[in-house]
This record gives sequence, structure tokens and C-alpha cells, in this order.
Amino acid sequence: MDPDELSALPPEGPRKSPHTRVRTISVNSMRSLQPSSLPVQRSYLDYERPEILAPMPRQALAGGRHLLENSAQWLNTRSHSPGSSRQLSPTLSPGRRFSTLSPHALKFPTSLSSLHAAEAPPPEREAEHAMARRWIRWMHKRGVKAWVVPSALLAATCLKATLGLGSYSGQGTPPMFGDYEAQRHWMELTIHLPIRRWYTYDLQYWGLDYPPLTAYVSWLCGIVGHRLEPSWVALDSSRGIETEASKVFMRSTVVLLDALVYIPALIMFTRVWQATRSKRTQNLALVTLLFQPALLLVDFGHFQYNSVMLGFALLAINFFALEQDIAGAVCFVLSLGFKQMALYYAPAIGGYLVAKCLYLGLVDGGKLFSRLALATSLSFLLLFLPFLPPFAPISAILDPISRIFPFARGLFEDKVANFWCASNVVFKWKNWASSGFLVKLSASLTALGFLPNVLVFLRIAWQTQLTPGAKPPPHPPILSLLPYALLTSSMSFFLFSFQVHEKTILLPLLPITLLLSGAPLDSTVFGWGALVNNVAVFSMWPLLKRDGLGVQYIALTILWNRLLGYNPLRLPSRSFVQLLSLAVYAAALSLHLLELLIPAPARYPDLFAVLNVLISTPVFVLVWLWSIKCGLQMTWAVGGLGNGGVPRLHRTASMVGDDEKPVVTDSRRSSIVGPGRRRVPFESEQEANEK
Amino acid sequence: MEPTDPTNKPVKRVSSGSLKSPPSSDFQYPTPRRKSWFRWELETSEYDLLFLSTSMKLLLFPSYRSTDFEVHRNWMAITHSLPMSQWYYDTTSEWTLDYPPFFAYFEKLLSIPASFIDPKMVDLNNLDYAPWTVVAYQRSTVILSELVLGAALLRFIRGSVDPSTQRIISASLFLHPGFLIVDHIHFQYNGFMFGIMLWSILMARNGNKLASGILFAVLLNFKHIYMYLAPAYFVYLLRSFCISPSGKLEIKNFLSLANAVIAVFIVSFGPWIVMGQIPQVLSRLFPFTRGLNHAYWASNFWALVTAADRVLLRYVSRTGADVAINISGVASTSRGLVGDTVFAVLPTIKPIHTFILTAGLQSIALIKLWFTPTYKSFLTSLTLCGYASYLFGWHVHEKAILLVLVPLSLLAAERHAYFRTFIIASVAGIFSLFPLIFTPGESIVKVLYSVLWVVFVYVPLTRRVYEFPISLSFVIIDTLEKIYLAGFPLLQLFVTLFPMLVAHRQQSAAAPADTCVSTADFICPEPDPHAGGVAAMEFLPLMLTSVYCAIGLLWGFCRLMFVYLNEETTYQGPLSRI
Repeated sequence: MDPDELSALPPEGPRKSPHTRVRTISVNSMRSLQPSSLPVQRSYLDYERPEILAPMPRQALAGGRHLLENSAQWLNTRSHSPGSSRQLSPTLSPGRRFSTLSPHALKFPTSLSSLHAAEAPPPEREAEHAMARRWIRWMHKRGVKAWVVPSALLAATCLKATLGLGSYSGQGTPPMFGDYEAQRHWMELTIHLPIRRWYTYDLQYWGLDYPPLTAYVSWLCGIVGHRLEPSWVALDSSRGIETEASKVFMRSTVVLLDALVYIPALIMFTRVWQATRSKRTQNLALVTLLFQPALLLVDFGHFQYNSVMLGFALLAINFFALEQDIAGAVCFVLSLGFKQMALYYAPAIGGYLVAKCLYLGLVDGGKLFSRLALATSLSFLLLFLPFLPPFAPISAILDPISRIFPFARGLFEDKVANFWCASNVVFKWKNWASSGFLVKLSASLTALGFLPNVLVFLRIAWQTQLTPGAKPPPHPPILSLLPYALLTSSMSFFLFSFQVHEKTILLPLLPITLLLSGAPLDSTVFGWGALVNNVAVFSMWPLLKRDGLGVQYIALTILWNRLLGYNPLRLPSRSFVQLLSLAVYAAALSLHLLELLIPAPARYPDLFAVLNVLISTPVFVLVWLWSIKCGLQMTWAVGGLGNGGVPRLHRTASMVGDDEKPVVTDSRRSSIVGPGRRRVPFESEQEANEK
Repeated sequence: MEPTDPTNKPVKRVSSGSLKSPPSSDFQYPTPRRKSWFRWELETSEYDLLFLSTSMKLLLFPSYRSTDFEVHRNWMAITHSLPMSQWYYDTTSEWTLDYPPFFAYFEKLLSIPASFIDPKMVDLNNLDYAPWTVVAYQRSTVILSELVLGAALLRFIRGSVDPSTQRIISASLFLHPGFLIVDHIHFQYNGFMFGIMLWSILMARNGNKLASGILFAVLLNFKHIYMYLAPAYFVYLLRSFCISPSGKLEIKNFLSLANAVIAVFIVSFGPWIVMGQIPQVLSRLFPFTRGLNHAYWASNFWALVTAADRVLLRYVSRTGADVAINISGVASTSRGLVGDTVFAVLPTIKPIHTFILTAGLQSIALIKLWFTPTYKSFLTSLTLCGYASYLFGWHVHEKAILLVLVPLSLLAAERHAYFRTFIIASVAGIFSLFPLIFTPGESIVKVLYSVLWVVFVYVPLTRRVYEFPISLSFVIIDTLEKIYLAGFPLLQLFVTLFPMLVAHRQQSAAAPADTCVSTADFICPEPDPHAGGVAAMEFLPLMLTSVYCAIGLLWGFCRLMFVYLNEETTYQGPLSRI
């Protein structure tokens, strides 16, 4: 209980005089009749407050689960809103509440210890692990809930601006500088050169190698920059410009584009994908996503525009959840058109859309398919229009294409925590096979990596195919699988594909952070999500160190974990995630300590980077396997074990794969989440009926 | 609310233990709850704030820092490499030691770990040495020493009459944009010293007046600017500690306080007394060679007067009115470094005038304090003392506004009148600090952070203290104040856009953005308004900022004075119970 509550006590509070104290004791002992196993400890506040009838749970109205629940939750628990940050609300009159207690729970206190138990701090105190959740609750209690989203956005912007004060990639390292200079250089060349020369101008010095949307955006930013101060973007003469003002300009373009694309996408995500959950939970998810350290560090510290690409991809899946598949497809094309890395998502998105067509049946599906094909090709055409006839000769299109997909470079460049680099420690790929073979090998491994979830899509779609004329459910059953599929495909690209950068881990991070944002604190999803996020930031440590962002790395990682209330010890005890997390954190911390205390030996200057890769890669491999497993579980959950056509509402719990414990069992949830989680009576009645 | 406790010991009334346990568990086993100074028992939310503010401060490591950074590095070098007899004589750097001895001791303390981390950091001749290790070390010392502030603020919550409101106020002080701007960007150690000041105030609240006096004496020996507040301390301690309510002198109390304060000064100045260097030390501490205004006019009364002088000069020179114009004043508007500000039209101000004005206004508050020596009265008159010194003092620095804002914050939740004063003074005061940070990146941070701070302080507090305006004059004042506050976004917009407009107008001139290097107690080399049109134009945003904030701050002073003098006639806030 927050001590703030003290002031809320009315003057006739029960703590006044010895006389009332007697009464309190008696009420206290009455309350201790309620067994401590049940989270119905009510403080006086509830008695003092007017009784409010419980509102109907929102998910009951919306007719089902929210979209981010994973398969194990689907199978094992009843529909609920697990991570709701809503506190104990005075739901029912004491009488009714008492009647809902199950009989075995009503025992009388036999010893002093149970009296003690009654006096233990109420469980909701323990439940408030997350700083963000505490803050949201505080805002609600102060009656300023309208300020939650604006102030969270403002705080995030302030943080980004502060982060921007630090150094950026390639600051003060002539002659090539770094990513910052690349982006600035593109502004310079797009505003000064005709479109035809964008992809051919002085390729040695940061030639443009992103798809046209980046070029167009650079052009816009460049025009603004040129109006403000021409020297920032003067052709050639501005190379390596490092004035304070130009840095602020560049930084603010990132913040602005992020605010235009990524932040609306995030807000829309919490409102669409978590529509059936409370406003507080939605806002909690928003805060979790806003302060994700990896993206902040790369975009606003290191300097890149990843949030635009991720924002468009996120908008795409938001539109899919709204059944606006055409708009979603166009958004995904924009994402691809901004940065070719979005291709990592393509198998999942493509698989989803094809499966959706399949699910809708021959007529509707065919219609959708043709529309999708048309919209996608039209938007690609529009994006590449300046490079196509009649605006340019047909050969012009080859310039951007060859720049965007550089197969000529090696298997991997820097030390990056993927399969190739990690296995290179023991197995020197380059000595063993030709470059051409390695390309083919990596391509086929990548395909193998993302195939399972694409197949799962098709299978579920086939099994749950709508019969013509049937009224479709609010969401296609494959929708819930989409985040897992995105995770699988982007992770398999990250692990196995060619020419991967350490920053590319941001792509797999997006779907798993989306999943994490809707998961309760003690769930496996949460455990994986937080682990992968932290390990991802850790895997970028060599890069961040080079950029001079060490302090920012520490500050943001700690802040985000605090916001989440993440503590691996609170995960399901001795679960695989917990043990893995503890081991990985121990290894990562000792590596940092080692690096701090001992300089790298002269023989192995990259020793610490390699060790970093060796710690990070297994985690990424495991999360990739985990996402495949979740996808398979979802198949069983939705479609049963192969006896196709089982309607999804008739599945039973016995179908669970026994390799995973249920993520949140009812008992554990009630003990952790606290009194607020006690459901309304009809649920208990259902429970009784089942028994 | 709980009834007033006659024992006048609020700490014991609401124990922190009972705060933690829910109000329902009234029946408690007599578990001994020891209260110790070293067991903070931080609430989760307090840890949250610590995490949040520390992350923010860590992110500010690479931000712009003023020459004060070099000043403090140099002081570390002085105290580390020279014997004490040389501390106040050394002139290797232009940034000579000009703080009292305790601060020199503090720098000596900081220099010990510094010499292990990087011996070059404490090398006296290694001027302007600022690699990453030095920045990280010095910035971390600011963060760590600011924990004193955090600790004092925590103690304020623990014994408070209304902990939830006090928590908001404490948090607002810990996260104050003033500290962020002055300490963590600009670079100084104010947070630490205001921590001592708050601790002293806390002791006064808890009834331990001897400790309060000692702590204030210690504070004075850290930084002598706190003398602005000394009159209130003097009157309060004399009246409530050394004289009994019946008017009899409490010899024992008086002697113990006097001895303790003298002892503190001996510990501080003792070595220099022995060495016979007191005149030299004092000449360093009080350089009487400065002008009325600082280069950037601190937003006080004299800023208004100076501005009025400029306007009158324009008027006179345009209309040709028959007024004697002081020719030297035409050129000299705001000399910061040396010499006096000479007005062109208005009569010239001498230090003695400012002194009389300040002392006169302070004594009004002090007389009231003499007759009502309660904690709340002390707090208000303390604020008013600092306020009067800031508004009417000679060569006041803009950072001195913190001396007003910090004690005023403690009064914020008393009543709507106090709250309004607090908001106006805070907004104007923080805005008046903005020109300290002029680099574009940091400017964005300071504005965003301050807006965020105002939202988080204003929104929850205003609901607690809101009072319905009861008369027409109240409504008019209320509206005017709102209009005034609404002017700040416009002013910020103007300050941001104006340089760009000027730059566009005069692209050929290509005037370099004049970098105002303001420091501890010195100086911005301000653009000479008559050097050319561009420079005059660049001075315009600063002047407007100064004048606009000065209006609000002056109004806040009048408001607070009025509220204080009419205290008995109106409802008393929760602090009056102490």
C-alpha cells in the first residue's frame, strides 16, 4: 500500500483512539479468517470507499483473448488479462465476495502464524515490480491519467535529445567517418544531383546503398537543412562536417522521423493488438516499447534511421490486425523501400498474407490475393518510378538494385553475434569453401530457418479455412502467430544470412519486444523478451564502445530494466529461461569486468569481441528455436494434432505439448499478481461447474 | 489528517514504519523499530526516482560544460599540489580559489581519488585538461555529492505531516531543472550545498535548532552566497532558541549556539587565522570591483531599471527631450567584469542604495518573524530574505535564484496562494537560467526537461491546493497571471527563432554566434550593443528574457510578502502545525 493512502483516510479512520482499536483487532482477526492463500486481503480503504460494482471485464465483451497471448496461455488458462496494472478495485460487497471463496480455502486460523500472515504487507505491494507500472498507477491515482501518454512521449523525446548530446558513429575519425556521415552525405548528394546519379555518384565515399524511400527522405531532410544552413549539405565540401549546429540538425531529423512513423505505430499497436486490455496495460506496453534501449542507442546514439523502417513494418502488422490487409501490404512495401533489411520480415509477412488468402477460401481469398498483388506491385512501381521508363532508361533500375544487394562483400564483416561469426572461431569458413558456395549455403540455411513458421501459417489456415458463407471470427486464427513468425524469420536471417551487421539485431528485437510488452512479469515470454533485449544491447557493446556510448549503454539498459521491473529471479523458478538468463548475465558481467581490468592480449586484439559473440550467439539461437516451438504449439492449439478441421473453441487442455510448463498457472498468478486478480464470481462458478 | 501533536516532534508522530505497513494492520506486535540516521528505508518509488535521475545525469556526461568545469579542476589541482598557505595566493590559472575554506577542503577531498585515477588531473599547470576520464570523474562527483540533497529530502518526507505531498515536493527538488542546468550541464556543486541547507531547515522543522544553526554555519563556510539567507537564520535562532517565549534570555542556549558557530568558523578559517592570511582570503571572497548587473542581467529589479533606462534613452534621443544624458552611460549598459553600470538617463545606483533597499525589505519580513517565530514563518521569511537579496542585491548572479526556489518549494503545497507564487517564481526562475545553456543540443534538453518537470509538479499539486477565487480582484489577478505564464512558450519561441531570422537577414555579415562563457562568479563577455547592429540584435533575446522573468519574479516577491504579512487572517496550511 502506498503511504499516500494515509492522507486519503477520512478523519474518522480506524486508527484514532484505543476504543476503536479494540474494534480493529476484532476486524483484523475476522480478516485473518480469510486464508492467506487467497488474495482477498482487503485494507480498510476498501471498506471506507463507496462500493462500486465490478465492471464487466473487457475481454468478455470483446469475445476472447487478446492477441498477444501465447499458445501455452491459450491452452492452459482461462481468458484473462494477465499483466493488467490495475490495482485492487473495490469490486464487490464483502458478502458477495465471501460467497465466492471456495470451501477448502475457508479454514480458521489455527496458530499465531496465520495471524501473522494476515499482517504481512498486502501482496499488491510485491506485485508492483515495474517502475513504469508504479508510475502509471500513481498518475491514475492522482487523477492525471490523461497525461500518461503525453508525458511518456515527452519524457522519451527528452531522453532521445539527451542521448543525442553524446558522440555518434564515426565522430572525429576522418577520412571515412561513419554511419552519421553516410546519412548526411546522402542528403547532400540527393539535393545536389539529378535522380539518375544518386546511385552512381562517388561510390567509394558512402555511395547510396539503401532503397529509394531513404533517398527521398534524405532529399526532404536535405532541403530543410539547405534552407537552414547551406554549408551543412554543400556538395563535397561539407564532407565530414562536425559543427555543433549540423549535429543538432541531424539528430533532430531522426527524432522527428521517429515521431512521425515509429511512435504512431507504437501507439496504434498498443491500441489495436491489446484492444481488449485495460488502458493501463496498454500504456505500460507503450512505455516498455518507447524506452527499448537497443533501438534508442542505435538510432539516437550511434545514428541511423531504423525506427522508420521498423515503424512501417509495425504499421503493417497493425493494419493486418485491423483486417486492412491492403494498407498493411503497402506499409510493408514502404518499410522495404526504406531499408532493405525489412526483407528479414518478408517470409513472415508473405506467409501470413498467403495464409490469409487460403483461410478466406477460394473466392474471397482469390479476390484478396489479386488485390494484394496489385497493391504491392503498384507501390513498388511508385517507389522506383524515377528509375523506370519513361523517366529513365531501363538499365537505370540496375543501379539501385546492385547497390541495395551487395553480394560481393564477404560472409560477415565485423564481429557479429550470428552463426557464421561464432562458428568461425573453430571452423574457418573462408578457407574451406568458396564465396559462391557460402552464399548458397547461407541462403539455404536461412530458408530452412524461417520455413517452419511459414508452413505453420499455411497449415493453420488450411485447417481453419472458412466455409463459404460462414461468418468470420473477429480475427483470423493465424494472426496471433504473426509476431512469432516475424521473430523466427528475422532471427533466422540474422543468424544465417550473408553480410549481417550487429545492428540488424534490432529486427528480431521488434517482434519479441512486442510480445514482451503484453506479457505478465513472471511469464516465459517476458523472460525471453527481456533476456534477448539485454543480450542484444550487450552484443552491440563493441560497437557502442567504439562510438563512445559506454555511459549511455549502462544508463539506458539499467533504466529500461528498472522500468520493466525485470529480475530473472522472479521468473518461474528453475525454468530454462531463468537458468539461461542467470548464466548469460553472469558471463556478460564477468566479461565486462575482465575488459575493464585487463587489456586485450596483443596476440588476440579481438578477444573480448569474440567472447562477446560467443556469449550472445547461443541466446539468439535459442530464442530462434523457442519461437519455432511457440509456432508449433500454436498449430496444436488452433488445429489439434492433425485431425484437421477441429474448431478452435473445442480444443482441450490435454492437447498441450508437454515440453513446456504452462506459462502462468492460475495459482501462481493469483499469488503474484495480488488481490486485483481475483476474478468476478461467475468465473469461480464456472470453475466449480467444471469440477 | 491527524491531530496536532502537542509534543512538537513530528518525526516521532508518523514513524516511517507505519507508513509502510497498510493502515489496516493496526494491531501490531511491539516490534522495535529503531530509527537510525543511516537506515534510509527507501521506498520503491524513491529508488525509482534515483534510477531515473541518475540515468538522466549519466546521459548528460558528454554535454556542454562551462568554464566552471575547469575552475573546479583547477581548484582540485591547487588544493592537491600546494600547501594551505598558498591556496588563496595562487594565480597560476585565472580561475583563482574564491570559495570559503570548507569548499577548498572539499576539493582537497575530491583530489585524492582524482590523483589515483589520473595524476595529470591534479597537475596545477595542466590548464584546460579535459579528457574523457576527467569529465567522467568530475561529473560523477557531482552526482555522488548530490546524494546529500537526496538524503535531506528523504528525511523531509519521513517526518512530514502530509507525506504524499511532501514526496512530490521532495521529488520536484531532487529533479529540479535548476540543478540539472546549473550542476549537471553547466557544472557546479549546488546540489550538494543545497542539501546541507535543506538539512539545516529540516533540523529547524524537527525542533533541533542548535543543529540547524551549526549546519547553516557549515554551509556558509562552503559558499558564502548563502549569506543572503543569514538574517532570517539570525532572527529565528535568536528569537526561538536563545530567548524564551516570555522574553527572557536563555543563556545556556545562547552560549552553546554561539560557541558552536564560532567553533565551525575556527575549524574553517583557523589555519588562515594562524597564518595571518585572513585579509587575503577575504579579498578573494569579496571582490568589490563589479558592476550592478552581471553581463547577462540576472532577472531582478535592476534588470528592469536598466531596461527602463535603455528605453528612456531611446525615447530621449528620438524626441530630443531636454534631459541630462550621462554620456558614459550611453555606451555602458551592462558591464559585467569591472566597473559600475552607469545609467544614461536615470540616476546612477551605488552599492549602498542596493544594500539599504535589500535590508529594508528584509527587515519587514524579519520583524514579522520576530513576533511569530514558528517553523513556517521561518521558512517564509528565509525565502523572502533570499528573494530580496536576489531582486535588489548588488551584482547578483542568475544562479542565485536557486536560493529562492529551493526554500519556496517547501512551501508550495501550503495553500493556493503559496502554490501560485511557487509556480510563477519557479517558471520565471528556471526560464531565467536558460541563457546559461546556449548550445543548441543542450537547449532542446533544458526546455523539454523543464516542461516535463512543470507538468509533473503542477498537475498533481494543483489539485491539492486549489481554491476557488473569491472576489473579482482575485479573478483578475488569476487571469493576468495565467496570461503571464502563457507568455513563456512564446518567449521561448522568439528566443529560438530570432537568431535564425537575424542570421537570414544578414547572411553576409556572418557574425559568429557569440559564445557566452559564464562561470562561477564571473562573467559573460557580453556582446557590445554598439559594436554593430548584429550584436545588438543578439543581445535582444537575452534582454527580453531577463526583463520578462524579472517581472514575474518581482510579482512573486510582492505576492509572497503580502501572503506572509496577512498570514493570520486566512486559512493556515498544514505546515503551520509544526
